[in-house]
Amino acid sequence: MTTEELDPLIHVPARLRIIATLAALPDGDALSFTRLQDMIGLTPGNLITHLRKLEDAGYVDTEKTGNGTASRTTVALTHVGRTALDTYTAALRDLLAGL
Amino acid sequence: MNASDEGEELDPRAAAALLEETTRRAQRQFDLRRPLLMVIGAAVVLIAYGVLWLSVREQHPYSGPAGWALAVLYSTLLVWIIVVATFYRRATSGVSGRSARQQKADAAAFIPIWITVYVFQGALHHAGASHAIVYGIYPAAAPIIIVGSAAAAYNVAKENWPWVGFAVAAVALAAIGSFAGPAGVWAVIGIGLCVLLLARAAGQVWLRRA
Repeated sequence: MTTEELDPLIHVPARLRIIATLAALPDGDALSFTRLQDMIGLTPGNLITHLRKLEDAGYVDTEKTGNGTASRTTVALTHVGRTALDTYTAALRDLLAGL
Repeated sequence: MNASDEGEELDPRAAAALLEETTRRAQRQFDLRRPLLMVIGAAVVLIAYGVLWLSVREQHPYSGPAGWALAVLYSTLLVWIIVVATFYRRATSGVSGRSARQQKADAAAFIPIWITVYVFQGALHHAGASHAIVYGIYPAAAPIIIVGSAAAAYNVAKENWPWVGFAVAAVALAAIGSFAGPAGVWAVIGIGLCVLLLARAAGQVWLRRA
């Protein structure tokens, strides 16, 4: 097994941290964009870029509620995203076992 | 770190370490039952039950805790409530969804149980039960027996076995401690509950490191 077989969408430091952080929440829970940003330590622009890629793949779900200053964006890991993380973790384990 | 780390080569070992560290840190930040909170709880229990025991240990006949002891008790409880609320607010900040709704429902379900404990104390007083029962054994042991039993049942439903064990141990401690009499019950339960909370905190730390 090689690193090429690891999901390239997850195998990036920033996105790995985003997915791992969201996976620590119970299934069905969402995290606000600001708390996620605070926990990951990315700039808003970078976080949006990475979230967009994860959302396009169906790994996360973002939801915006309210308008103007009262607007709030929440991010949740989807079932597809959780399964992808499980698959990635198993692949990583196999890869490390073979080293 | 930025969006340009796209092309950054991530070594599998580094990826595994990053995944583990991020998961552990996130779980710790979302955790509502932190070991530190249990250690603070152990101190609160020891102070609260300790001052009540100090105020009643020389009483013959038993008349109940002194005003100063109740003032210390309520002050300690107030500090405890503030500490728990601060921990809770930090852990749940920005979190929404199913578990947040469930936590509110769970908290609401325990309110009538607490009210029942004190309504029953009023009924004992009304029926002419002695001070040793109404202001001694009952307030020291009954809240733990009644709320602890409900907590045990709740955690069985959630298959949260470490907390089932803690709740059952607390209920057993309160039941056995009741035999120490209206003054001794405060000391026995205070020390016992403090030890149980410290053991639970140590167990949680050990489980996290395992």
